[in-house]
Amino acid sequence: MSKSGFYKMIGVLLVLAFCLAPAGAWAGKALKIAIVAPSASNDLAFTQSIVDGIKAVQKERTIELAVTDGTFIVEDAAAAIRDYAQKGFDLVIAHGSQYGGSLKEIAKDFPKTAFAWGTSADTFGLPNVSSYEAASDEGGYVMGVMAAALSKKGGVGVVGPIEVGDAKLFVDGFVAGAKAQKAGIRANVNYIGSFSDVALAAEAARAHMATGADVLTGTAQMVVGAIGAARSRRVAWFGTQANQTELAPEIVVACQVYKWEVILRKILADLDSGVLGGKKYAITLANNGLVIEFNDAYKLPAGVKQAGLDAVAAIKSGKIKPLR
Amino acid sequence: MTVEAVFPVLEMRGIGKRFPGVIANENVDFDLRKGEVHTLLGENGAGKSTLMKILYGLYRPDAGELRLNGRPVRLSSPSDAIAHGICMIHQHFMLVPSLTVAENVALGLRSTRGPLTDLRHVARRIGELSDAFGLQVDPFADVWQLAVGERQRVEIIKALYRDASILILDEPTAVLTPREVDDLFETFRRMARQGRSLIFISHKLHEVLTLSDRITVLRNGRVTGETDPCNTSREELARMMVGRDVNLAPEKPAATVCEARLQIENLVVAGDRGTDAVCDVNLAVCGGEVLGLAGVSGNGQRELAEAVCGLRKPKSGVIRVDGQPVAPGNPKAVRKAGLAYVPEERMRDGAIGDFNIMENLLLLDHGEKRFCRNGFLRFGRIFKHCRKLVRAYAVKTPTLETPAKNLSGGNIQKLILARELSGNPKVLIAAQPTRGVDIGAAEYIHARLARQRTGGTATLVISEDLDEIFALADRIAVMCQGRLMGIVDRHEATRERIGLMMAGVDPDSPSKDYCPVSESTSR
Amino acid sequence: MNDFWTATILVATVASGIRLATPFLLASLGEALGQRSGVLNLGVDGVMLLGAFGAYYAVLKTNNLLLGVAVGVLLGALLGLFYAFITVNLRAQQGISGIGIYLFGLGMSDLLFQKLVGTPRPIMPFAIVRFPVLSDIPVIGEMFFDHSLIVYVAFLLVPLFTFIINRTTYGMNVRAIGENPEAADSLGVSVGRVRYSALIIGNSLAGLAGAALAIELGIFQQNLTNAMGFIAIALVYFGAWRPIGVMAGSLVFGLVASIVLQCKTLGIIPRSASDLAAMAPAVITVLALVVVANRFRQPAALTKPYIRGQ
Repeated sequence: MSKSGFYKMIGVLLVLAFCLAPAGAWAGKALKIAIVAPSASNDLAFTQSIVDGIKAVQKERTIELAVTDGTFIVEDAAAAIRDYAQKGFDLVIAHGSQYGGSLKEIAKDFPKTAFAWGTSADTFGLPNVSSYEAASDEGGYVMGVMAAALSKKGGVGVVGPIEVGDAKLFVDGFVAGAKAQKAGIRANVNYIGSFSDVALAAEAARAHMATGADVLTGTAQMVVGAIGAARSRRVAWFGTQANQTELAPEIVVACQVYKWEVILRKILADLDSGVLGGKKYAITLANNGLVIEFNDAYKLPAGVKQAGLDAVAAIKSGKIKPLR
Repeated sequence: MTVEAVFPVLEMRGIGKRFPGVIANENVDFDLRKGEVHTLLGENGAGKSTLMKILYGLYRPDAGELRLNGRPVRLSSPSDAIAHGICMIHQHFMLVPSLTVAENVALGLRSTRGPLTDLRHVARRIGELSDAFGLQVDPFADVWQLAVGERQRVEIIKALYRDASILILDEPTAVLTPREVDDLFETFRRMARQGRSLIFISHKLHEVLTLSDRITVLRNGRVTGETDPCNTSREELARMMVGRDVNLAPEKPAATVCEARLQIENLVVAGDRGTDAVCDVNLAVCGGEVLGLAGVSGNGQRELAEAVCGLRKPKSGVIRVDGQPVAPGNPKAVRKAGLAYVPEERMRDGAIGDFNIMENLLLLDHGEKRFCRNGFLRFGRIFKHCRKLVRAYAVKTPTLETPAKNLSGGNIQKLILARELSGNPKVLIAAQPTRGVDIGAAEYIHARLARQRTGGTATLVISEDLDEIFALADRIAVMCQGRLMGIVDRHEATRERIGLMMAGVDPDSPSKDYCPVSESTSR
Repeated sequence: MNDFWTATILVATVASGIRLATPFLLASLGEALGQRSGVLNLGVDGVMLLGAFGAYYAVLKTNNLLLGVAVGVLLGALLGLFYAFITVNLRAQQGISGIGIYLFGLGMSDLLFQKLVGTPRPIMPFAIVRFPVLSDIPVIGEMFFDHSLIVYVAFLLVPLFTFIINRTTYGMNVRAIGENPEAADSLGVSVGRVRYSALIIGNSLAGLAGAALAIELGIFQQNLTNAMGFIAIALVYFGAWRPIGVMAGSLVFGLVASIVLQCKTLGIIPRSASDLAAMAPAVITVLALVVVANRFRQPAALTKPYIRGQ
């Protein structure tokens, strides 16, 4: 190919791009949204929460949804994000704090595409990236309060993955809540060092029980193992990220459920008015993005439940700020 | 040999076998009588092994018929052959080193205890056979701990245990000392006297003449003659094998004695297992002389050669070329000092199979100014140089770009020789220079080595083949268990004397200094 | 540190280590048998995953634990048959075809899970089996005789495999073929048949390991094994291809993991060192491997396809 031919082709491509891109973005009524997430979209945890969020919004307006899940390898996720941007999706959601570095580069290359990234509070100063996070410390605090109130042996245990992001917020909130409820409580935390080792999570739960914990909680997708272990000894469990009641109806007390639709609605409203990003969002108890769902089948003493509800009210009104 | 043995227990008629591009056997007739030793003689690639693998059920013939005791049979696996009383003793022992002797013998046999092994029963039977045939071996020893001679005995016991009526012996003497060969032949004769029939495969002419009742010669997959030891000679057998007259002992002018060009002083070298493989060896080779180093495989010869060539760092000792000490464990320095090396494992250490002829010829010299300018190879010159070498050394190859692995063993050896001798070395170490090489190429290689000797090179030939040592050497040194047993002048050397020395017996005082033949070094 | 040395904690830690070791033990016993016959299978993890899903699904549908175990073993056997066909008949390069088995098991187990089950649903786990006298011994009883049946089975397989490998003609054939298949073939031992059987038995155990994992945890999810199969292969080298050594390796790995876990729970290992400590089992295993590996030789014919007459 001659040099001038090459430039001509680039020119044609550019013209095509300018003609098609805005048409694709604004002409259709159906909004095209893509999600890229690290674990399975029905993991009863982190990834399922965002998929459920979009599905809730889908009831209100037409959305064409594409999901790439199971991309625990960041390079794979980056490729998927770039792919969706190239295909002309209106909003690409990078659902994993580990995707930040890649997203920062990709978002610069597609200034006309809106990106959302969570959980995080950083938009990289880019006008087409919104960030979202969950104030999971709030629900964690509420559950910590209830757990401490529920514990007869004076010990509660936490099974965590790696001490980062959403998991760290939740765990710290839980410990703060437990200590606030009962100053002398033993609140042991075990970060097992993996998001995926189910067997190790189960043994971590057993280790907690051996040290005298009779109420457990945990976060991330490997906790299914811990829930199983807790269930075999009939030890109470508090869940987070999604409603885990069906995994162990006899022991799940309550779950902090993420309602991402609350902030997804806001991001879509921004899009409608032509704002691609640059804003930071968070779901909280106050904006009903975080909801404590109780398992009715579990016979929770009324006093314990009340302590939890009181904590919710206190956080909503701003009287308690769990980690501040 | 008694004459009652006329009844053919085995007849192979019109056997044919082709492999892609090769006719391995064509219209081969072979028969075997009860109680005889029938030798199958031929060069490498003559089709002996193929014929025997057909008999042993490893290959299926394309044509021909096989009869056992007059009845046609079809053998499609070794177990078929074993069921018909045929056993094969392979040149490379078919033993499992990590198993005990008894386990090796029991392998593949039905156990008297059903699914459990019956090793005690097997061991008892092995003991009986050992006594009956003079094959002493400990049934519970691990095979990897046994010396080569003992492993050979295990192979024979395996065959006797299966009560084989037909034994195929594929070059069984390749790794034995002459003394051990005598014992082995005595066992074979005893087996034949019992009415077993033996097929002996060999290319060592004097052994063939000693042991055989009948001799069938193969060349290029066809039978070229059948004879018996009383009516033939080494020369005639060689002619039948090669198809022309062969000079079995090249004439050579008397050695022109001069100063020692290679000196080895107090050399100690560790082997692969950490123990000393070479213990305090002193040796000198003069210009214009060939020193033959004899010994059973695995007695330190390989380690000695590697140490001299800088491929293995010696623990202590000095190596001098023309009086100058060379840096130990530094092959480049050794090469620079004027030493050339024809290694034992020619495909591993001597040539790179995937490289073509030209690249292999240039392995040493590619950095030299005449072939390389500013890091770029000068292909014109290289091509000319290589073509000259290939012609001069009669390397048979279609092109200079042919990968070395496609050449025959003899041609690869010539290729290595061409590369090593083109620099006219001061010292040449040649390890097993003709092993696995056809007679024609061997003849050529011997002539080349003789020419180098005349040119003043000091040559150390390491060989397990006494015929080769006697044909080439001016003096013969013998190693056993890493020690130098002594150096004998060619004119004063006899096979018996060298054989005793190889077995670790000092012929001057046979009572002392006995060293059992060591096991071969790890494979 | 004192917290650690109470009887309850000690018992819990050892028991936990034994539980963690069980799937490794089953998988590496099976892999060891295959390797003794001269075939390396890097696909253990994939076989475990399919076995785990098969067992999980069978129990989910029927509530029959025995059926679940049987399905896991059967799937393992089928994959073993398939792998034997690839390596024995097609003479495929063993390293890469094992990886193929792994990827197949990883993808297929996830696909089946998504299509047939979807959201993780709990299944009935194994019951604890206690013995009349043994389980009542203080400390010892709780450490060693307070487990589910599969744990006892796994550890009983160790002497059984030792016996099979060393005292039966079958075991002798396996050893011979892993060292020198030509020799075995020349005596009429069928190299193919022995390798087929070793791979089918070995992979059945990998399937059983997966089944044990899924049922013990009472759950399945994507990549449930979390690369346990690869650790199991390392443990085969650690154990020098001997059942007893493999057991020692599995126990070291399981116990180090459980000790680290317990120390983290008690705060003996500070939270800042938590992620570092999580690597301890792998690091210690690798170190031990380096020490042990040089003492023993691997089966000489390992990874080499057998072609008669070459």
